[in-house]
Amino acid sequence: MASFTIGIDVGGTFTDLVVIDGHGETTFAKSPSTPQDQSIGVLAGLDELARRLKLSRTEMLERTQRIVHGATVATNALLERKGAKVALLTTEGHRDVLEMREGLKDNRYDLRSPPPEPLVPRQLRLAVRERLRADGSVMTPLDDTSLDAAIATIRQSGATSVAICFLHAYRNPAHERAAEQRLRRALPDIFISRSSDVLPQIKEFERVSTTVVNAYVGPAVHRYLTSLERRLSETGFAGSLFVILSHGGMAPVEEAARLAAATVLSGPAGGVAGARRSAALLGVPNLIPFDMGGTSTDISLIAGGEAQLSAERGLAGERIALRSLDIASIGAGGGSIARVDTAGAFQVGPESAGAVPGPACYGNGGTLATVTDANLLLGYLDAENFLGGKRKLDHAASERAVDRVAGALKLSRDDTAAGIFRLINMKMADGIRLMTLRRGVDPRRFTLLSFGGAAGLHAVEVARELEIPRVIVPTVASVLSAWGMLATDLRYEASRTHIGERVTMDDAAMRTIFGDLESHATARLRAWFDGPVRIERSAEMRYGEQIFEIDVPLDVLDWNAPDLVARIHDEFHRRHEELYTYASRDQEVVFVNARAAAVGAVGSTATALTEVPDAAKANAKGMRRAWFGGWRETPVFDIAALPPGAAVTGPAILEAETTTVVVNVGDQMRVNGLGWLDIELAK
Amino acid sequence: MSSQVDPITRAVVQHRLSAIVAEMGEAMLRTSYSQILNSSRDFSLAICDTQARLIAQADHIPVHVGALPWATRAVEERIHDVQPGDVILMNDPYHGGSHLPDVTAFVPVFDAGKRLFWTIVRAHQSDIGGATHGAYNPMATEIYQEGLRIPPMKLYEAGRLREDVLDMIALNIRNPRDFRGDLAAMVGAAHLGERRLSKLFTELDAATVTQAIEDILDASERQTRAIVSSWKDGVFHGEALLDDDGHGRNDIRIVARVTKRGSDIEVDLTGSDPQTTSFVNSSHANMQAAVAMAFAYLIDPDIPKNSGALRPLKVAAKQGTIVWADPGLPVTLCTSHPSNEIVEAIIKAMSGSCPGRVMGGWGRRFRIAIQGENPRTGRGFIWHMFHARPGGGASAGGDGWSSIGEWHTVGGIKFGSVEIAEVRFPLHFARHEFRTDSGGKGEHRGGLGVDLDLVVETAKPARANTAGDGARHGACGILGGEDGLPHDYRLISHGKAERVLKTKEVGIAISPGDVLQVRSGGGGGWGDHARRSAEAQARDLEQGLVSSTASETD
Repeated sequence: MASFTIGIDVGGTFTDLVVIDGHGETTFAKSPSTPQDQSIGVLAGLDELARRLKLSRTEMLERTQRIVHGATVATNALLERKGAKVALLTTEGHRDVLEMREGLKDNRYDLRSPPPEPLVPRQLRLAVRERLRADGSVMTPLDDTSLDAAIATIRQSGATSVAICFLHAYRNPAHERAAEQRLRRALPDIFISRSSDVLPQIKEFERVSTTVVNAYVGPAVHRYLTSLERRLSETGFAGSLFVILSHGGMAPVEEAARLAAATVLSGPAGGVAGARRSAALLGVPNLIPFDMGGTSTDISLIAGGEAQLSAERGLAGERIALRSLDIASIGAGGGSIARVDTAGAFQVGPESAGAVPGPACYGNGGTLATVTDANLLLGYLDAENFLGGKRKLDHAASERAVDRVAGALKLSRDDTAAGIFRLINMKMADGIRLMTLRRGVDPRRFTLLSFGGAAGLHAVEVARELEIPRVIVPTVASVLSAWGMLATDLRYEASRTHIGERVTMDDAAMRTIFGDLESHATARLRAWFDGPVRIERSAEMRYGEQIFEIDVPLDVLDWNAPDLVARIHDEFHRRHEELYTYASRDQEVVFVNARAAAVGAVGSTATALTEVPDAAKANAKGMRRAWFGGWRETPVFDIAALPPGAAVTGPAILEAETTTVVVNVGDQMRVNGLGWLDIELAK
Repeated sequence: MSSQVDPITRAVVQHRLSAIVAEMGEAMLRTSYSQILNSSRDFSLAICDTQARLIAQADHIPVHVGALPWATRAVEERIHDVQPGDVILMNDPYHGGSHLPDVTAFVPVFDAGKRLFWTIVRAHQSDIGGATHGAYNPMATEIYQEGLRIPPMKLYEAGRLREDVLDMIALNIRNPRDFRGDLAAMVGAAHLGERRLSKLFTELDAATVTQAIEDILDASERQTRAIVSSWKDGVFHGEALLDDDGHGRNDIRIVARVTKRGSDIEVDLTGSDPQTTSFVNSSHANMQAAVAMAFAYLIDPDIPKNSGALRPLKVAAKQGTIVWADPGLPVTLCTSHPSNEIVEAIIKAMSGSCPGRVMGGWGRRFRIAIQGENPRTGRGFIWHMFHARPGGGASAGGDGWSSIGEWHTVGGIKFGSVEIAEVRFPLHFARHEFRTDSGGKGEHRGGLGVDLDLVVETAKPARANTAGDGARHGACGILGGEDGLPHDYRLISHGKAERVLKTKEVGIAISPGDVLQVRSGGGGGWGDHARRSAEAQARDLEQGLVSSTASETD
């Protein structure tokens, strides 16, 4: 009997599902997302998936070992400000850390916008008398009277969730733990998020903000996942339900609910997982995943086959200092609106027509010219065959919308549409260039991996802007996230701050620190998983006067070698030089955080890429007039009909049910052994 | 207003220029060495043309940006044989600079042998030599006591580093390694901009790019003029006061007389008080920058900050006044003071012309630096206070931001973590919270300053210096709003009477266990407090932002 693994990615519009059986056969399904209760769309999608397997939902679920889920419950709660009512217990004298935001404000010239509302208002930031010193020793013992007063206020306030964050709790969690116990006794049903549990690291703003976000989204994530788990098991599912976390690894339901703040990037993390899996299959270690949708575009980096992690992220203006995949989001996509501003300047975005009303050509009431309208007028999209013919596009509506912009610019319709296409491509390219600069890599050494509904139309021109020589479009492009989840590893991250202990940081102490972290992480992972476990070690370090730490991978080290501390410092210098062009070997090095991740690798049944011979000449399914600096009759190909080894020289348009790929004059496209499009750009 | 460049090309050029300065900023952030740059981001990037017009800038430090065209003008006047591969360096306030710590690097951008642009990086150095560490010297009476002066000069000549020149500069600076690291980052970022601009010339020819830039400047001018012409015409007055010069002179007036007619606006500062002997004087370029900064705060935030946007603005001032000092006088404080007061005088004047756009005053800067020995390491330390940020001003848009900074930084400076500070320095932050009642009352309340109780836990005596202003005059209220509370810093030393610290002191003796009781100023209120909604008042009281309602205090 076949055993299944299922990946489920809940997106803004669609919920994508992929099932793979024991022989590596994959089947896809899509169902509309149901933002009010995501589990409705998930269960409907499972029914569709079962139908495609010619099974009932129960029959399919009974044979399913593992379901991997990219959930956007936390994301939506944060973006829509619909999280729990949270109270915060803080050290007396320091209740405003959350609202001070380190003194920073984003838009420097905007002096007429009021400050953002913090997730916990000041009257619910409750001071508790207690204080630790920087070395973790107790300066002022935890005062139960002030704690009880705070608990009484919480009880009165109706808060359903509490964050606890005391100064220096990363060194000594005793006061936070005692407060948690007392709180739990008094209010047994309340959700508690404790900083020494969520993020036991120095820097109070990052810690308190992360702990508060966790308290804010935690109850909703917990509710959703436990109810989904129950409904699955009611229909026969006896396997494990895992959730993708922002760091790209997965964890079981109870862990995702405990560390709910780590699920805010669960959705896009699936895309990166897919890109990482693509890199492995293709044998192309350096990829730039380019996921362009209707309202936004996500970009990230796969370097040396691995995704990049960063602790500098946040969402919806809230700082979340947990390590997560380094995904940059550009507020531009197929729905971005073209317009002429008050100065007569031509702009594309950042305003978007979104899904409703959408581009003018959708005929849903949108009248403004969008990138999608330009793509239709340029002949890249087929009005009769959009989404496999499921949606007819209104060419005349696009003409009217673009003509209005053209009139204001005193340009022709064609030049205006081509201008929209050019400017959006430039914005995408600049977004990618800035991100690669931040990571210290040269985009010209990377391959662009195009996925998401709108990416194929733009990927080749974006690559050309960046002098990227090669673009790959997977056939699973439209469900890449769900597909990537099938090969995602389990991951548990542990970290400890050891700043200020330079004196005692000898080789033996270093081995003990990492040894403790590793046993902790391994033990946690072992509770969910009995396969092989790998450990990844890293440290966050900086030079004395710097304020940003950098992440230094330490897996290359021989941990039994003498001079371990010196070797760790060497790794830091090397990494610093790689990122920022220089190292200062005579400077003081500060070791801030030690990290260990326990990774449980699940088996992957995917087939590797094989070389294929050239196929017979590919036949176009038709011709269409399209714009390549002027109108050209352009052959249109059906991607599904192209055999491995088929080759096409641009200009060409390649269509599939969910995506369209535009190849420019002289660019060479060849279908590889996986059936994916591999495009080499003309010099 | 006819143009040969189509609007699509213009949009491409405009977008590319802002992408280039953004990339220069990213490079700077990632490669700079000292904390003041990589953490506090006290640096700015720009592209100017050979007519010293500002073409594009990255939004980093507002008070730098309006100053860069003046620095470029000084470079153009002084350096006549610019070649590809040159790098020009300068900092002197009497040669187009603002104050000595702000060192600026220029890289020329050529096309087909013709010089067209400069890519520019300005960065605040943590030290620039002179009598005191970090250049802020309240005792200085001459610029020579403030640090090393660099007129516009070549650091690189046709691609070759003038090592003797660099050695000479570095030798005069207290932490030459930081300086060299930061300078390398500046030159690298400017070169990155040069490469990206040159690439643009290969994609679109240089003539198209320069014509597109003319159009962009014209478009920004049109946008600004459209806004200015919607304001009320007239002649408007505003005044702001500096506390003192630290040398016995109090209440130094900055006077703005603003004439607004149609879409033109002239700011006349000639009525301001005479210059002083101390570092609270402004250099000419800094005065120009402060006026441009005030103007930028009044127009729409998303208008590109370029010379086109500033065309409607004319500035008149008189040399020998506090806003434009005679050559040789010290000026180091000027980027904060009197910059803040110049902005405030203009904004106050404009409250009669565009009340919906003006805002209450933002808090003043009051620095404090402690120097001593760390008993845990036995080594010396210097700690600069960036905590206890003052409050921001309220506006028609709502209440002011609390703990956010001054007019010249407006939320651009990150104060470090208290936990990190306690680990690294012998300091205990007993309290660091909003300062109740410090925000100026109004229909919209000013942002709050901060209460900081800082215990100095050295084993041996330490010393402190201060530099700043705003302990006598709080950030101004506007349109009937009240002033924010001024700063109030005190030293509480065991067995001694509590002492109020002055804003310009050197060598303050601190004994182990002393407490610095810092109360930073709040922002100014906007509009009459009587119109503040009952809900907002109840909320302020519930949150402890005020200690009582107005009716009780009235």
